[in-house]
Amino acid sequence: MSVHPVPSDFEARCNAAFEAVMWAMARPGLVRDLPTTGMAQLVEALIDRECAVYCAEPGLAELAQKAGALAVAPDRADHVFVDDIPDRLLTQLNCGTDLHPDDGATLIAKADFSNGPQLRLTGPGIDGHVVVSVGGLAHDFWQHRRRALRYPMGFEILLVDGARVLGIPRSTIVEVL
Amino acid sequence: MSLKTLTKPWEAMAYGFLDGSAKREIRRKMIKAIAVPGCQMPYASREVPMARGWGTGGLQVSLTLVNPTMRVKVIDQGADDSVNAASIRRFIARVAGAPTTMDTLDADLIQSRHRIPEEILRDDQVLVLQVPNPEPLRPVQPNMSIARQMHADADYGRMWLQLYEQIVRSGRVMQGASYPSLVHGRHVMTPSPIPRWDVPKLNMAQHLTILSAGREKRIFAVPPYTRVEPLVFSDVPYKVEDHADLTCHRSGTRGFFMNEIPQEDGSSAFEVSDSEWGVKAIRRRDGEEVALGETWYKNGRMPS
Amino acid sequence: MAYVATRGGERAIEQSQRLFCAEMGDITPDRIAEIRAAMPYLIDRIMGEASLYDEDLAALALAQTGGELYEAVLLLRAWRTTQPRISVAEPVTQDALFTHRRISAAFKDIPGGQVLGPTLDYAHRILATTVLDGQVSTPDPVTPAKMASPPRQPSVSAWQAENGLLSPATSDHLTGNDIPDVTREPLLFPAKRAHTLQSLARAETGGVLALGYAAQRGYGQAHPTVNELRLAEAEIVVTHPRGTRFSAGRVKVSQAEVVSKKGSQLELGFSATMGWNEVKVIAAATLDLNSKGAPKGSATEEEFFLYHTEGVESSGFCIHFKLPHYVTFQSSLDAMRDAKARKAAPEKSPEPAE
Repeated sequence: MSVHPVPSDFEARCNAAFEAVMWAMARPGLVRDLPTTGMAQLVEALIDRECAVYCAEPGLAELAQKAGALAVAPDRADHVFVDDIPDRLLTQLNCGTDLHPDDGATLIAKADFSNGPQLRLTGPGIDGHVVVSVGGLAHDFWQHRRRALRYPMGFEILLVDGARVLGIPRSTIVEVL
Repeated sequence: MSLKTLTKPWEAMAYGFLDGSAKREIRRKMIKAIAVPGCQMPYASREVPMARGWGTGGLQVSLTLVNPTMRVKVIDQGADDSVNAASIRRFIARVAGAPTTMDTLDADLIQSRHRIPEEILRDDQVLVLQVPNPEPLRPVQPNMSIARQMHADADYGRMWLQLYEQIVRSGRVMQGASYPSLVHGRHVMTPSPIPRWDVPKLNMAQHLTILSAGREKRIFAVPPYTRVEPLVFSDVPYKVEDHADLTCHRSGTRGFFMNEIPQEDGSSAFEVSDSEWGVKAIRRRDGEEVALGETWYKNGRMPS
Repeated sequence: MAYVATRGGERAIEQSQRLFCAEMGDITPDRIAEIRAAMPYLIDRIMGEASLYDEDLAALALAQTGGELYEAVLLLRAWRTTQPRISVAEPVTQDALFTHRRISAAFKDIPGGQVLGPTLDYAHRILATTVLDGQVSTPDPVTPAKMASPPRQPSVSAWQAENGLLSPATSDHLTGNDIPDVTREPLLFPAKRAHTLQSLARAETGGVLALGYAAQRGYGQAHPTVNELRLAEAEIVVTHPRGTRFSAGRVKVSQAEVVSKKGSQLELGFSATMGWNEVKVIAAATLDLNSKGAPKGSATEEEFFLYHTEGVESSGFCIHFKLPHYVTFQSSLDAMRDAKARKAAPEKSPEPAE
């Protein structure tokens, strides 16, 4: 029997969404294309009943709940989905422990890659340095991030602009130009 | 709500064999592994139709990443046609409908047991290494929980001591393969049982490397452009295997990691371990048009 | 010289598999039925180790692998991961079990009685070789007792708890999907209680026996007494999405409680598994009993015995040593030869100080 398995559209979208996220994390600062717009594809690709999730947008929250995730406040979430980042959110995000850095959260938020302050990124995944424009975040966002991180404890950030995603793992050093 | 909404439509097998929840967990853990280079992330590690210890960890990562357009290469000890590599390659092709290749230059995903190919991997390629024992501290600490604390404290003193004792006893570091290496200046990692020859290929590489131990249930990663530094003393430099001047008796290629083949008369013949590189060299020599990629090692040496 | 001739890998695998399967010949529905009828305890053992209850699938796994137990369990576990998870059944309590066999070594008699059930415990272990000469061995008929043993019995530990002899286990009241599942989360230490019990339920019988035996012989701190050993059937109660509670059927389960003295109280060790497997649950309960307070890094510590009684992992790793290791071997040879050469090379004498 030779049957060529073919992924469903759902499966193909999850696979492509994760591939974009994987490369976004592996090459911070280099924007990747998602298969479609919005954050729902990321919930579909990543969220499961082992997750504790905070979603600001009710439609997304329902999607996460259908996936089996527990709905929690941001300080207890392993995944936080917001459009605009509320003040003080970065201080609430779970950073894991030195025994379990993997318990650190992943923050998914909206941003604007077409205009905004320029950032100079260095660290793993970056060939020397990379400069990227990221708008839509509070002016002191990156300061707060630096204060909240204590490598290897920390959290990851995925910024989504339409059908594009940018990744900033905790290992990346961000300098606002 | 109906039973129909609680279960997915019946299919003999999920695409890529692994069910969605297994893939999602691996995806989540891979993100964390990439975010903290060299740090072992625990995962549940599902059962697959292959014995534990035979590459189930690497296979789970490959099955999570694969899609019908992804070209997959699988090698064991550098050879595509080794029985274990052939079995894994067949399985991935069967459950994912993915095209397979033996040419490193042609592959999007390379799953490997214990070798890194000789041709330089590009920034659009993923190398998945099979890991039997993910814990570099095991020789000095068999208990995983205690070892975890040591990583948390960056307490690597006993590792250094062991290397030092080897130098005192034998005049050199005796570690063969699986040379413990410091990643991003913070976590000591085992690069998996690749020979010392291959470890420098991980340092500031263009490609992404995922290391996965299925039986021991740990995933870790080396992103591109990340420091991977074998543990050495400043006055005892890192030494790779002495293969710089060896020639493959089949293909004539020279200065790459070789398999030693004992001969009846007591001597040894050498054969290049990266078997497809050897095949391409033979084909080139026989007049075929074949693309040989740029290699990390040039004239048997890795440029520093 | 063409390299192509050396590519025999795929062909070799194909033929090696055929060679293995040729010995067993045709696998027929009759064979499956025969194995089911003839080998219930073997089937129970592998269902427990696979943590998959389906006698037909277990019989098929045995048929396909020719009885190679580690391969059979691997087949079942690999199948298990492909199946959808529809529901989590309700917790089962001891006193609700439909009990076929229940004995206690702690007391001469207990509420509900000592029920021997089906056992070879008191049999003379003599091979019925007349069968090999062509005779049929028919078991002597069972003479029913005047009074049937009660289908359910209270637990011995409940009586002991009431009498202040032990502190009963406290429930975490988790149900359904809230119960941690060791097949979906990594096993980390100190382990969640659910993970420990699940791991012991799935543990490989021989491995558990070896380590349990070591504990019983004194490598463990506690000397075990079998409080209660039970072979029973458990009702699988699930709730339909429309709200109806119903039984999806019964599965065989075995469980063991062992106790030992700790100060003025009894300490309790427990293990249960699917299928009837007495050796495993007694040995596993012994390991459970000894794990509290075991020294870190010792063989009676949870981290030691849970890791090493995982049959699919241990057997897989053991046989993986058959895989080619010539690259790592070459790397070691290189280091050894260099070290030898250094020893053999005459010491360079230091420059004379002049």
